[in-house]
Amino acid sequence: MRITKKLLITLLATVVCTVSCKDNFLNVKPTGSITNAQLTSKAGLEGSLIAAYSMLTGRSVGADGFYGGSTNWFWGSVLGGEANKGTNSGDQAQVNEIQAYHPQTGNTSILAKYQATYEGIARVNALLRILPDAQATVTAADKTRIEAEAKFLRAHYYFELKKHFNNTPYIDESVDYSKGIELVKNDTDLWPKIEADFQFAYDNLPETQGAPGRANKWAAGAYLAKALLFQNKFAAAKTLFSAVMAGGKTANGKAYGLVPKYGNLWRIANNNNEESVFAIQSAAGTGTINNANPDFVLNFPYNGGPAGCCGFFQPSFELGNSFRTDATGLPLLDGSYNTGANQLVTDEGVAAKALFTPDAGNLDPRIDHSIGRRYLPYLDHGPHPGVAWIRDQNYGGPYAPKKYIWTKAEEASGGVDKSSWTPGYDGQNVYIIRYADVLLMAAEAEIEAGSLATAQTYINTVRTRAAADIVMGKLIGFQPLAAPAVGPDYTKPILDNSLPAANYVITNYTVAFGSQAEARIALRFERKLELSGEGQRFYDLVRWGVAAATLNAYLTYEKAQVTASPFADASYVSPKSDHLPIPQREIDILSTSVLAQNPGY
Amino acid sequence: MKLYGRLRPIVSLLLMLTSTALLAQQANVSGSIIDENGAPIPGVTILEKGTSNGTNSDNDGKYTLNVSGSSATLVISFIGYKSQEIAVNNQTAINVSLVPDITALQEVVVTGYSVDQRRDITGAVSTVKARALSISPSGNVEQQLQGRVPGVTVITNGQPGTTSQIRVRGFGAFGGNEPLYIVDGLPVTDTNFLNPDDIESTTVLKDASTASIYGARAANGVIVYTTKKGTRGSKKLSITVDSMFGVTNPGTGQKMMNPQDFADWTWNATKNTAMQLGVPSDSIKFTHPQFGTGTTPLVPDYLLVGTSSGVTGSVDLAAEKAKYNVTDFSRPIYQVVKANKSGTDWYKAITHNAPLFRNTIGIRGGGENSRFYFGLSSQEQDGILNTQHFSREAFRVNTEFNILKNLRIGENLQFTYRATHSLQGGNGGQGISGEESIVLTAFRMPSIIPIYDEFGGYAGTRAPGFNNPANPVASLDGGKDSRGFENRSTGNLYLEFEPIKGLTARTSYGGNFGSSYFWSYQRRTYENSENNSAVSYSEGAAQAYAWTFTNTLDYKKSFSNLHNFDLLVGQEALNTGKGRNMSGTGLNPFSEDRDFVTLNTTAPGATRTVGSNYFKGVNFSSYFGRLNYSFNDRYIASVVVRRDGSSRFGANNRYGVFPAFSAAWRISSEPFMNGLKSVVDDLKIRGGYGIMGNSNNVDPNNQYSLYQTNVGNSSYPIAGTGASEGYYRSRIGNPNARWEKAVTTNIGFDGTFLSGKMDIIVDFWNKDTRDLLFSVPQTSENGLFAAVPSVNVGKMMNRGVDIQVITRGKISGKIGYEFTVNGGFLKNQIVALSPGIIYLPGDPGFRGINPIRNQLGRPISSFFGYQVLGLFQNQADIDAAPTQSGVIKTADALPGQVPGGVGRFKFADLDGDGKITQADRTWLGSPVPKFTGGMNFKFTFVGFELESYMFLSLGGKIWNQSKWFTDFYPSFAGAAISERVKQSWTPTNTGATIPIFENVSNFSTQSANGNSFYVENGSYFRMQNITLSYNLPSDIARKISMERLRVFISTNNVFTISKYQGMDPSVGGNADLNFGIDVGNYPITRSYTCGLSFGF
Repeated sequence: MRITKKLLITLLATVVCTVSCKDNFLNVKPTGSITNAQLTSKAGLEGSLIAAYSMLTGRSVGADGFYGGSTNWFWGSVLGGEANKGTNSGDQAQVNEIQAYHPQTGNTSILAKYQATYEGIARVNALLRILPDAQATVTAADKTRIEAEAKFLRAHYYFELKKHFNNTPYIDESVDYSKGIELVKNDTDLWPKIEADFQFAYDNLPETQGAPGRANKWAAGAYLAKALLFQNKFAAAKTLFSAVMAGGKTANGKAYGLVPKYGNLWRIANNNNEESVFAIQSAAGTGTINNANPDFVLNFPYNGGPAGCCGFFQPSFELGNSFRTDATGLPLLDGSYNTGANQLVTDEGVAAKALFTPDAGNLDPRIDHSIGRRYLPYLDHGPHPGVAWIRDQNYGGPYAPKKYIWTKAEEASGGVDKSSWTPGYDGQNVYIIRYADVLLMAAEAEIEAGSLATAQTYINTVRTRAAADIVMGKLIGFQPLAAPAVGPDYTKPILDNSLPAANYVITNYTVAFGSQAEARIALRFERKLELSGEGQRFYDLVRWGVAAATLNAYLTYEKAQVTASPFADASYVSPKSDHLPIPQREIDILSTSVLAQNPGY
Repeated sequence: MKLYGRLRPIVSLLLMLTSTALLAQQANVSGSIIDENGAPIPGVTILEKGTSNGTNSDNDGKYTLNVSGSSATLVISFIGYKSQEIAVNNQTAINVSLVPDITALQEVVVTGYSVDQRRDITGAVSTVKARALSISPSGNVEQQLQGRVPGVTVITNGQPGTTSQIRVRGFGAFGGNEPLYIVDGLPVTDTNFLNPDDIESTTVLKDASTASIYGARAANGVIVYTTKKGTRGSKKLSITVDSMFGVTNPGTGQKMMNPQDFADWTWNATKNTAMQLGVPSDSIKFTHPQFGTGTTPLVPDYLLVGTSSGVTGSVDLAAEKAKYNVTDFSRPIYQVVKANKSGTDWYKAITHNAPLFRNTIGIRGGGENSRFYFGLSSQEQDGILNTQHFSREAFRVNTEFNILKNLRIGENLQFTYRATHSLQGGNGGQGISGEESIVLTAFRMPSIIPIYDEFGGYAGTRAPGFNNPANPVASLDGGKDSRGFENRSTGNLYLEFEPIKGLTARTSYGGNFGSSYFWSYQRRTYENSENNSAVSYSEGAAQAYAWTFTNTLDYKKSFSNLHNFDLLVGQEALNTGKGRNMSGTGLNPFSEDRDFVTLNTTAPGATRTVGSNYFKGVNFSSYFGRLNYSFNDRYIASVVVRRDGSSRFGANNRYGVFPAFSAAWRISSEPFMNGLKSVVDDLKIRGGYGIMGNSNNVDPNNQYSLYQTNVGNSSYPIAGTGASEGYYRSRIGNPNARWEKAVTTNIGFDGTFLSGKMDIIVDFWNKDTRDLLFSVPQTSENGLFAAVPSVNVGKMMNRGVDIQVITRGKISGKIGYEFTVNGGFLKNQIVALSPGIIYLPGDPGFRGINPIRNQLGRPISSFFGYQVLGLFQNQADIDAAPTQSGVIKTADALPGQVPGGVGRFKFADLDGDGKITQADRTWLGSPVPKFTGGMNFKFTFVGFELESYMFLSLGGKIWNQSKWFTDFYPSFAGAAISERVKQSWTPTNTGATIPIFENVSNFSTQSANGNSFYVENGSYFRMQNITLSYNLPSDIARKISMERLRVFISTNNVFTISKYQGMDPSVGGNADLNFGIDVGNYPITRSYTCGLSFGF
């Protein structure tokens, strides 16, 4: 029986042990994570701040993936009439109804924008919540800087919400899950909150920073002035813009100025240049495509062009025409660019193998840094072949985007991230505010609250730079067809790189603006030409109060240009279309008594 | 026998040491056991009643047993035969002739922690015969439960080795509804390692009365597998060999348009659009890179010659060959692709007849004090997709030794190698139906594209005009050298001790150790319109270990043969698995030579990424007890209580107590039933009530607020290059979550009628789950990246009826028949979410369409969207309808707008506000079948046996999302078009259900709006199996030195009757809030098998 006894004792002992150790036994700590108490070191606080910055890229959030970041290519530029979604009808079909200005409140891409932006805010708030508990080793200066950068970012994210959704619930570090977050209504104006955070950042941030991607004092100043401008507080905006222009420098210490060549703004080697007031930092090969400009991945030509995918973001006919200049080199401010022979000659409906002669009229040279057109050099990828690189010309039109497209040279030097399904990810920073924008905003403040002459100077500064960079490579003929066929091969153009690619004529405004109204028209048109495709125009049109008139005219014009237009049933209704609907998901969760839907939806 | 031989000295020694334990009054009984034909039956259990003292008959049917005294009673039982009880009464030789078990209600059932007589069970239990599990050539045994067990829903697909959606009595929670699997007493989370030929019995415990002894993890039912054991005291080895060979035929794919029709309908799309816009037919501009610009499309001879597309005429192939380039990516790719005018059948191109082999050798035997079973098996099976392969090699050892007369030690252990190559779809293959799988790609590739170009490279959508499907043959080929496999050791070691009569102490320690490894290659593609731009290579490994330690005491006592008590108490501690995994990925190795490529040889730098994680599993600590009482075999009652603690919950609510009560009344034993004796052999009424706990659907970290760093989620190149690390909130904790509770009630009848010719088992059941744990939808203001905690708020209702009817008999002398019907009715409904919430947002999106809404008052995973009333027939129809985006009323046309939109969907204005808005979306059906069942026919004639098995699923709906790709031109303009489109709406074909075929999408037709067009009837009937087998008569078998010999031929999935338009109505998906959607389902197709089974 000895064995049995031994076994019994062992059995009993193990049972007793399991029982006696039970409390410990049922405590299983999480792995691969940390608690917020562990983040109060300097590295932890800095890392929390990095996480808040990282949401600027949108990080491919949402079911559809490309609409959450602060690039606003879709929300600012497509809705602003500078481009259409592009590609074909079925691709990312959920945004079709948005670009036709009648989105459903349940639209998933609208939700993605809302969610990504609030994630940025949540990250700022999480940081500000632990900042008071910073460990003793964190210096007061670091704490102040971290707080100021965080508040700069929070102001940026709320500015995004304000532009897209008008008023949304204001959540700061004092509110959280189970601490009343579900009770905050959207009945309070966000502007004072945005201003306060930018002001704190402006007052507390250093002029230069240890890393070029950080917000500095002057970025905060410029952004605060922009917020003032959006509220029509022109005098205050003017004062602040003047200060920024007088003393401003980038986080890496470069005095604000314009990059000498307009086209160089979109070269990776030129990231964080003197014009980069605040930009989303991008880098290829960091181990994630989310650092490599993920919002833009679809916005490359199709079928053989650089990246090969996916044909989104095709500039509009109307934008192309806008670059027409008159004999003196000034834009057609009377709107006549959309009529008769003023319209650009395009290859819409012209087969790849058929003869096409590009437009020969006067053009602002910025067109060929902004729009990919048939037979014009497409950066260093050779001449754009027209329809061959367009996914569905009947739907999206003849143009391809050109800003933010990488060059072969950049690809060769590692600027393109090839770790994912398409090489449409790259290290090109995306401007949130660049100095030319500051000049034009300052000009606007001057027009509304100061001097037309100063405004004209600012506008001309921008135009002077535009004139300094023309694209070379004129179409002079075609290679012959392969024998035995005879005749020219229209898919193989011959360019002469010693000649300008088009007939570029651009001059400054030399005659003083006759009135505030005249100055306003010139300024607004200059913003369109200078900043096209950079996610700005829609908000400009709305704040100027001209969105309905401008965009309905745009829709009427565009609709007639292609056979299967995405705008067939589009119309802009003000004030409804001025803002996106509050996502239905949020209203369903918080109820209509907390979250009021925007008018018209 | 060798093993026993080696162990014999040890056993003898032990016996000598403990000989004092042998009691003088013991009696010795021996005998032989024969079947109805007089043939000996090996493996019969002979048990001394009220004890666990027992033995098994040997291969000659002989047994010897020492019983405690001459007044002992023997219980003789064997699966398939009626159990018998025989009093010893001083006999020393007892020969028994077993009678076939004509009633299923007499069998022995392995439940809870014990083995019970079916007739004493008070709860809801079903059993499945071993043969049923081994007959079909599926990879995983649980797939074979489909239609075999009333109340069990099985949704699966055709991939060998796929996981399936197995649900016992509905869907109790919003997730984690998988049943608990018990293999030889050890809880495991899956059974894909089991070889069907090793399984002795399968039992499904369905209600709290039976399952709650397993407590916390049993709320979704328990499936108990017992593997084969040896036979104590057998004189010789019994060796069985089971072999199966077969082939699965992929069948035919969906009908897609041939090249000429495809071109014509591309033109029709343009014409129809022009009609809608009021463009006169003579001014329509046709343009397509392949079909030209004429008023009739021209099918070209070559799709691609270098950069030219739509080439007609001949091409100088010799000259072109010099320019050919598909390997040097620094130069432009140059291909010549000929149009396949006869049409490529892409489904055929990616599939093949898939062979199957399964072989098992089982060796069982035993000595006086030992028994063993060795099972060695191999299953090698191809999937119908070209490169798919499943293999499972298993080695099982089950042994048991008597150390003392009243002390036994035993183990059940299996070593398994398992590999599923090219398994498609997430969640172990289960998710495939909801994914844009390679099966879908086959229906997106236009038939005009050939598989290969003129010089041996792949052809594809690099030829412009066909949008972006990727050549699926190339995709499969690209992964053909990728591999993944797992090695697994699963089993337990136990000790059983009987210190006094009727008391059994058992301790068992079980473990499950698994390790896995994979490597995979992805080629750099050139043939597609959208190509991946790098060669990539990944490699990784994982290991995990789970354990369970169980201790029970079981005391059986009978008073004056009227009062029978059975008390079981126990303790259990377990860990669900701790382990680690790691993997790496790199790009562009210098050479793609498989002998060269490792992670080290991929390009250095940040594109070479690594990842690892570590998990500790969940700990459970439990105590439980069960008391069974029966009076005079007439009144039976059972009480179960279990207290569980789990590390998933915070200290406040860690423990839950879960009781269950049940009782049964054998009404047929009552005197007043005597008059019905000729009709009613046995009738028992059962009732049970109980509460089970569940914690499956809550993250182990639910109680903690956590922060994380992740390069994709929170890094940022703040310095302009590289990436700085960021920390973000990843989880908000809830320390107060507590156990989910499933309250079950069950009322059942077990009856045997007409002298054993008919068994009827009926159960009415109710399962209400409350305190359901789920992540209550939170406002996005909390941040999207922080998982919100589960809180106890939801309620779910499941109700059903389970029916099993078995009739058996003989038609005329030699022809025997058996007819079994199993059926389960199920009603599932979400009863409560959190206050103020009527649905769960965040439902899955499919190209912008969100078909599912888990909504209050509806079944789980229900479909939601606009109700299609029909198609707009004319402008007057549009003008009279509510305002709807996508069509323009005459009165609403803006300047420059043409009113129109005929042939598009007309939606129902459910809120009657005259506009079609989001508020008009409604419930469109549920994928949960209302009834699933099976029918089994068996006829026997002399040695022949004909058996067929049918499955029926009624009342489920399917969301056929694949139609979005194949039936609408603008979804991906240029991709393949379904033959169905020829029936689409035109001004002359007004009875159509498919809308007008246009080249623009809009709200009304095909844009990102779910509507009832996609919802189809998912009911189906499937003839799943017909088997003809022949058993050699045992006397002839003996002449060739065999115990038995059986040969069979069989065909599976013979035909399916269904109205469903997709490939296969068996549509699963990622459970549980997201299934029933068919994007690219993998069909279950016909297979033919034959086999041989013999023993000697």
